[in-house]
Amino acid sequence: MNFFHFIAQNRGQVLELTLEHLWLVGVSTLLAVLVGIPLGILIAHWPLLNKPVLATANVIQTIPSLALFGFLLPVPWLGDRAERLAILALTLYALLPLIRNTYTGIRGVDPAVVEAGRGMGLTDLQLLLKVELPLALSVILSGVRVAVVISVGLATIAAAIGAGGLGELIFRGLAMVNNQLILAGAIPAAGLALLADFGLGWVEKRLRPQ
Amino acid sequence: MMQPRNLARRFAQSVAGSTAAGVCRALVLAIAVCPLMISACSSSRSDRIVIGSKNFTESLILGEIMAQQIEAHTHLKVERRFYLAGTYICHQGMLSGRIDVYPEYTGTALTAILKEKPEGERRQVYERVKSEYESRFGLTLGPAFGFNDTFAMEIRGEDARHLNLKTLSQAAAYAPQWRAGFGYEFMERPDGYRGLAAVYGLHFAGQPRVMDLGLLARALRDHQIDIAAGNATDGLIPTLDLFVLEDDRHYFPPYEAVPVIRGETLKQHPEAALALAQLEGKISDQEMRQLNYAVDGQRRDVKDVVREFLQQNGLLQK
Amino acid sequence: MQRSALNLICLATMERDATNGPAIEFRDVTYDLPNGQRVLASLNLGVQRGEILVLLGRSGSGKTTTLKLINRLLSPTSGEIRVEGKAASAEDVVRLRRRIGYVIQEIGLFPHYTVERNIGLVPSIEGWPQEKIHTRATELLQMVGLDAQLALRYPHQLSGGQRQRVGVARALAADPQILLMDEPFGALDPLTRDELQREFLSLQRRLHKTVVFVTHDLNEALRLGSRIALMEAGTLVTVLSPADFLRSNNPLAAAYVRAFGSGLDSAANRGA
Repeated sequence: MNFFHFIAQNRGQVLELTLEHLWLVGVSTLLAVLVGIPLGILIAHWPLLNKPVLATANVIQTIPSLALFGFLLPVPWLGDRAERLAILALTLYALLPLIRNTYTGIRGVDPAVVEAGRGMGLTDLQLLLKVELPLALSVILSGVRVAVVISVGLATIAAAIGAGGLGELIFRGLAMVNNQLILAGAIPAAGLALLADFGLGWVEKRLRPQ
Repeated sequence: MMQPRNLARRFAQSVAGSTAAGVCRALVLAIAVCPLMISACSSSRSDRIVIGSKNFTESLILGEIMAQQIEAHTHLKVERRFYLAGTYICHQGMLSGRIDVYPEYTGTALTAILKEKPEGERRQVYERVKSEYESRFGLTLGPAFGFNDTFAMEIRGEDARHLNLKTLSQAAAYAPQWRAGFGYEFMERPDGYRGLAAVYGLHFAGQPRVMDLGLLARALRDHQIDIAAGNATDGLIPTLDLFVLEDDRHYFPPYEAVPVIRGETLKQHPEAALALAQLEGKISDQEMRQLNYAVDGQRRDVKDVVREFLQQNGLLQK
Repeated sequence: MQRSALNLICLATMERDATNGPAIEFRDVTYDLPNGQRVLASLNLGVQRGEILVLLGRSGSGKTTTLKLINRLLSPTSGEIRVEGKAASAEDVVRLRRRIGYVIQEIGLFPHYTVERNIGLVPSIEGWPQEKIHTRATELLQMVGLDAQLALRYPHQLSGGQRQRVGVARALAADPQILLMDEPFGALDPLTRDELQREFLSLQRRLHKTVVFVTHDLNEALRLGSRIALMEAGTLVTVLSPADFLRSNNPLAAAYVRAFGSGLDSAANRGA
């Protein structure tokens, strides 16, 4: 059976799993943004925290993803529903690019601009919201882009622990030695990653300060 | 009343001072809204039922039996999601509504999901699992298919006849003369070899040999080992003339095969439950072995084997 | 009874000081770096209302530190700074800074804001209505010699000289009484620098702000300053009018004069 024919025949399943995949990536990226960006802002302003925070995030990144999923399985509330576990793990993996890029972006703002702003009487919050964040936005967004692309890939492994998503097609295809099934999962997943990369890359470019 | 998107734009502009940043804020909002939108447009299951199975032959066969049974007796469209990698994954699939029905074993449900000790007799275990699944997960256990895929202590048919052995207690006397062969899991599990040896007072000649499950039957036949721990429904048991010793002290927990159905599915499609109920007790240990052999040993197509089975048992007539 | 009378007298004195006394006062101010290095030693200095006081010195003399102590970008290790009669440390730092205009060498315009938004920043956070901000911005652009059309351009579209003019306009937006300028024309080419110095003088003639101006360029100091405060190694060496500076016997002042060579007389006369 031709591949496209296969997708057409099973489009209900493929669509359902794609949406599931997007859900996993969307929620975890959102959580990582909510935690990572404030953390990045924090360490940009308190350099003492810089090393421990970045080091921790780095350590988390180096844990092999399947191993992380495995560690978390026995944890009571998390292990009960695979999606929770998967979302937590994906969030943790998305943290490093977000924290690091937020930090770099804010530190990269021209110090003269910050000094002028402070000297003019902007409060720290105003400085952050009106000057630092808008100028760091392009770099921060690049961090989001990296986080999303990583998440799309990692979410395929989430199926190994029952969280669903396009990885389920890949794993089932492997067990059945059915290439079409494998591709039915792999190609949409790759497609999502590319889409995210291009889409967010375009926005990033538009936001880069001249 | 201002549109949310315009509101977001205005807010962004006032805070960041540039339209481009406003676009970016809208994007962040989109990433945030995406999961909500997706959950809102959940797929409709009005006329479709998803049947899952684990990734070994027996589970596949049971899944296919249930699938064809439902197809024959209801108007429901059946989607097969077989080869799911294990108990946990199937269970998660049920909880999240990804699959509606799948075949499980009472013993496995008891230990792997409910995390209780693997003991009790058949009826007890079945009732326990049924009530816990109902109250904790909203999952219903259908009536058992009729066979018990528990651990089986196998010996060569000739030895059984020659020594007139029927039960494990009887065999214990000959244990010191026998070499045993087990799979890795059986060696490791507390309810495996260790418990068995204790209950029956077994002392084998030398250390039991540990090998891959698939090789045990042949090793037994070739006299490399004299007793093996396999599964009660191994397809090779009849073909290699192996004999399963009766577990007269009821050491091994029961592993009755049952269909597990989601509560919602039951409500929406009671006809599916009725169709599955017809399978109660229809598959004996011996019949399951034959089905396993047909697929594994004879390499026949699962669909054909199952169709034949259902026809022979008069299950395909409405 | 006596207590309250004394209080009244004190208050009266303070009020008088506030209107007649120096706009900015340094009383025994010392500033040390976190590592213990002393940058300013016991500085005593007064800046008169309406004057341009130039802080002249080489790098490391402490002149920029002195400037930053006024708007509390730095805090003194000991001693007190008084701004318009009130102790700088007593007032809310943000309120203080908004009352003081600040112009720096690198200019520091917000690259993501238009010229108009840059100028209007302090007024807008002070809650001025949009109309008023727009009017004020147009007014200031004119004052610093820029075409009103530039209001909607972005900083990267302007030349260095234009940018610094916007910087000055921005500092003047909320009409502060005090202006702090840290080598504001240092990064510009000589021609533009000359232009801006001249225009700044004429602006000051109109506005009469109290200005503290940091520079290491004696030419600039003589041209712009009503008084020149010469600093070296964290101490105030002398405070002289430009004419007095040229004639001074103070060894450091004389050294400066020698270093800068001829052509200073005309600079001192603020002509060329």
